[in-house]
Amino acid sequence: MSKIRIIGVKKVYEGEKKVLALDNVNMEIKENEFAVIVGPSGCGKSTLLSLIAGFEKPTEGKILLDGKEVDKPAPDRGFVFQDFALYPWRTVLKNTTFGLELKGVTKEEARKQAMRYIKMVGLEGFEEVYPHTLSGGMKQRVAIARALAYEPEVLLMDEPFGSLDAQTRKLMQMELIRIWGKTKRTVVFVTHSVIEAVYLADKVFVMTARPGKVKGIVEIDIPRPRDYTDERFLMIREKILSLLQEEVEKSQKIKQSME
Amino acid sequence: MSGKKLLNDFFQFIFPFIVVGILWEIIVDVGLITFIPSPHELLVRFYQLSIQKNILEKHLYYSFYRLIIGYLLATIFGIGVGVLIGVKKIVSDIFSPVLGLLISIPTIAWVPVLLITFGLGDKTVIIAIFLGGFFEVAYSTIHGIRMVDKNLVNAARIMGADRLKIFSHVLLPGAMTSIIPGLRLAIGYSWRALVGAEMLAAMVRWGIGKMIYEARFWNDIVTMFLGLVVIGIMGMLLDKFIMGYIEKETIERWGMIEKR
Repeated sequence: MSKIRIIGVKKVYEGEKKVLALDNVNMEIKENEFAVIVGPSGCGKSTLLSLIAGFEKPTEGKILLDGKEVDKPAPDRGFVFQDFALYPWRTVLKNTTFGLELKGVTKEEARKQAMRYIKMVGLEGFEEVYPHTLSGGMKQRVAIARALAYEPEVLLMDEPFGSLDAQTRKLMQMELIRIWGKTKRTVVFVTHSVIEAVYLADKVFVMTARPGKVKGIVEIDIPRPRDYTDERFLMIREKILSLLQEEVEKSQKIKQSME
Repeated sequence: MSGKKLLNDFFQFIFPFIVVGILWEIIVDVGLITFIPSPHELLVRFYQLSIQKNILEKHLYYSFYRLIIGYLLATIFGIGVGVLIGVKKIVSDIFSPVLGLLISIPTIAWVPVLLITFGLGDKTVIIAIFLGGFFEVAYSTIHGIRMVDKNLVNAARIMGADRLKIFSHVLLPGAMTSIIPGLRLAIGYSWRALVGAEMLAAMVRWGIGKMIYEARFWNDIVTMFLGLVVIGIMGMLLDKFIMGYIEKETIERWGMIEKR
């Protein structure tokens, strides 16, 4: 049974001129599956994620989570933002317990549970510091701990490693797979990096340039941890890249025509 | 912080004042400038008014009593109004333009009106202090709430926060980057409004502004100058030690502004 179903979703932004961001998007994501959405910039992949989160509503079509239509954000989902979105006035621990506090969990219980996830993301000893003292990679670890601590069923990640340097990014990809292995959860991960997609995903959705549609679905069954230089890895990478190539060119043309 | 460092900081703070004081003393003593009193005359007058007669403290006591009431009112209503305008679009559409008009009126221009409606006493002075701070607090609150990163709100929404929780746990603390510097400016404006209003409110007998105004009748230029210096010092202490401390313990500690 599929955990998330996206059925005929269309998103139009009304403004000075109408922008058709997504057009007839259909997806199915299974329980505990690691799904990655990859596409050229401006293809609406982040929009799609924010629709699944319930931050925005689709213009047409619907999104089902466990068969129920999503109409607003709720703690059955967790969200990790590209810019971390940590609360600067809360310590690492307090950021992580926030979701639990909102759930009404007792202070002691919240602390215990938060500490479990802080340890899991490797930040033990940093629980009393404020986020601004941490590096980008560490901030994103806090954000992941915060999103996992209240144990949502689905984890939504919007280019979470996009602002990190290449080294940290690689490390975080490894860490994420390790954490996901421990917590087994449905993940929807948005990125524009094909290598990242192939490293992480069970299933990759390749999107077209605006308006965003699903151009192709690639299933990956290479056992983890994956090796970037493995032959199968490179083959799948090539396959996705060739799917994307046309779209990147198309999105360039859209940009040029807008200028 | 060690005692030695504290002492060191104190000397760094006081040193420029000592240098300027000595220069001022020399300039007046040699007769280059004759229309202002010298620092030693001020010190003597300070001794007479405070230690011998206990007058200066009384003036300061009344001024601070009014400042605290007026400024607290400005803070409460300023943040309240700022929140309403910052959160509710309809309230903003109606009241923002009016606020924009009112903020450009100098506080002192209100005083003659207040003298008629609220009388010649304390009430007028306190309301002038209130007006002096209110607009700045309201504006910085509106601005602060609008500047809160949308993703901070979205993060709270998906974790299950309702409107009230979003307000108290995200919008309000998030707006502190703007509210706290606003409170800091506002206490300065309130302090200035206080001194002006004390001079104009005839029934007010005590207050540092009144002290200056009354010295005029005796041509007592030394007392007037002493008043000015005390106003300056008090304003600076309020800003540096009280407001500066609050800023340091909140938004600076959270890394929301650069360290000064």
